[in-house]
Amino acid sequence: MSDKIGVYVCECGPNIGEAIDIDKVIEAISPIEDVAVVRRHKLLCSGDGQNFLVDEIKNEGLTHVVLGACSPKDHEITFMNVATRAGINPYLIQVVNIREQCAWIFKDKDIATKKAIKYIRAGIERIKYHKPLQKKELDANPDVLVLGGGLAGIEAALALTQTDRKVYLVEKSADLGGSVMKFEKLLSHQGFNLGLIKEKVDKINSNENIEVLTSTNVESVIGFFGNFEVTTKPAGEEAGGKSFIVGAVVVASGYNWFDLESTPRYGYKKIEDVFTINDFGRMIEESEKLKLSTGKEPKSIALVHCGGRKELGYCSRVCCMQMMNIGNYIKDKYPGIEVHELHSDLCVSSKNDQKYYEKSKEKGINFIRMKGVEVGGKAGAISIEYTTLAGDKGKLAVDMAVVAPGMIPEAGTPQVADMLNVPLHPTGFFKEGHEKLNPVGTTMDGIYVVGCAQGPKSFMETLIQAQAATGKIFSHLIPGKKIEPEVKVSEIIEAFCTGCQTCLDVCFYGAITYDEDKGVSVVNEAICRGCGNCAGSCPSDAIRPKHFTTTQLYQEVVEALRE
Amino acid sequence: MSNDFKPNIVGFLCNWCTYAAADLAGQSKFDIKPSINVIRVMCSSRIDPNLVLGAFLWGADGVLVAGCHPGDCHYEKGNFYTRRRFTQMKKVLETLNLDPDRLQLAWVSASEGQRYRDVINAFTDKIKEMGPNPLKPNPAV
Repeated sequence: MSDKIGVYVCECGPNIGEAIDIDKVIEAISPIEDVAVVRRHKLLCSGDGQNFLVDEIKNEGLTHVVLGACSPKDHEITFMNVATRAGINPYLIQVVNIREQCAWIFKDKDIATKKAIKYIRAGIERIKYHKPLQKKELDANPDVLVLGGGLAGIEAALALTQTDRKVYLVEKSADLGGSVMKFEKLLSHQGFNLGLIKEKVDKINSNENIEVLTSTNVESVIGFFGNFEVTTKPAGEEAGGKSFIVGAVVVASGYNWFDLESTPRYGYKKIEDVFTINDFGRMIEESEKLKLSTGKEPKSIALVHCGGRKELGYCSRVCCMQMMNIGNYIKDKYPGIEVHELHSDLCVSSKNDQKYYEKSKEKGINFIRMKGVEVGGKAGAISIEYTTLAGDKGKLAVDMAVVAPGMIPEAGTPQVADMLNVPLHPTGFFKEGHEKLNPVGTTMDGIYVVGCAQGPKSFMETLIQAQAATGKIFSHLIPGKKIEPEVKVSEIIEAFCTGCQTCLDVCFYGAITYDEDKGVSVVNEAICRGCGNCAGSCPSDAIRPKHFTTTQLYQEVVEALRE
Repeated sequence: MSNDFKPNIVGFLCNWCTYAAADLAGQSKFDIKPSINVIRVMCSSRIDPNLVLGAFLWGADGVLVAGCHPGDCHYEKGNFYTRRRFTQMKKVLETLNLDPDRLQLAWVSASEGQRYRDVINAFTDKIKEMGPNPLKPNPAV
């Protein structure tokens, strides 16, 4: 059957109708080979316009349709649905943008008309090489792997629980709960009740849809959204591993602390009675008493913020509030102890923080803004030397110092990133799909990163992220429903492929593998996103990104240059 | 002669950034020189150097390859590949006796309608100064 192409020009009210001489367009387009009909319509995207198109396609027996209309970003999907309704493949429709990129930018009607003719002709020549593409459906496993049993992992695992969905919660240490559990007393002083987290842990342990694997490492994750093969191994053992299949992965592998010993600035481990937040928290947990190495109670304490910020090059955001909490704890329990907080930029970003800061000042905590600090002296006479913003030097004599180390990626993060084929941020934390538009996704479909694995986060932000990833999984990975991978994927023509494997190197989704037997590259259509980078790099022109083939683009080039 | 010369430019625009910027320029009703002929691709990294060569051999006075700002690629780092590929491509153009500046790379994000206009108009002026593509086939063809 030969092609019967229908061309329809949308007036889009006055938008195209007044800027372009549509009669001239019809006159120029009509004689083109294979064009069966050329007509105009007032507003093709309207209900009336869509019905008109359906009738036209059916009555005229059209095989392809070219629409001179608005940007495909506006209504391509609308018109693809029209095609489906009319019984032709949605990829046999080409929307040519003669509004945004023609009628609206060329003020001279003659120029705009000529350009519209050029663009529509290019669309016609292009569509002659279109192939019908079929939507594919793949079975998807609704189960989820949650990597890490801290605050983020607990929240995600529990929120994900539903009938027909199993959650595997894998934690490398022996207990669930993560780093927050170590500071029960300090946290409860601020009104953060760890009992709530323990309750969640209990719920997880008693939930039959959640399989908890503590003291376990994930060995490998291979596959794609809807179908990841996971293998685990008990920590420190060779045997006893498990393997199972999940549809999505939530990475909640947490963070670590900057090593204060790596710089002499803080005197950490060199001078007694210099603590990190962790040491201080542990001391409170053990005895709820503040004790110096001499066994006496301290008279003055310096809380030094921003430990390692210079080295790390970023602000850890949450330590300011942690330090202020410690300051409040001391002031509430031991009003007689002097407390100095040395901070650079004070990070008090949530709506309650500013009030808390003001209250802290009222309690007598001395806040000093500095741009550099050094902890020196010796036990019993610790000296804190600092530089103010104005450049003045200052000095404090205290008998205890607590330094807040910045947050750094958890050890093993690069290995996990490598295993999952997701990128890292220059800071070494996991990189989110997009800082603003895709804050818990990654470049890999079905892999989400939440909590401090992605960078320093407060409790609240961590929970929000865990819930956000859960929402994404709930809406994208529904038990019993199939998933639809991208249709416009790359295709490798085996006969042309020389097996050079350049495409394997450039594909950042890992969608291409090499078939040793045949000596050719193979695209996994479930992973391919259709960017076409492989085609741009293929030296033997063996790769065709569907719907953006070289032949199709060539037609557009040729028509663009037709005099 | 340069006054009559109307350059013909082929512009390969990535779907996510520069094509959206071109739409925005339209919505903003900016004046854009009609030299530009837009071809939409999903990612600038899709552009095979052969397509650019082809465009020049078919007579394009200039070729624009435009995508998201480096680091902002919808496909993570496609535009880094584009950048590298077309820096090399410019060398090839020299051997064909084509001014390498006839090939331009530009990064225009979806929110930069104005920048899109400026890129197109400035590139058009530059090509106008250079004159027609010396490889242009005989118009009789």
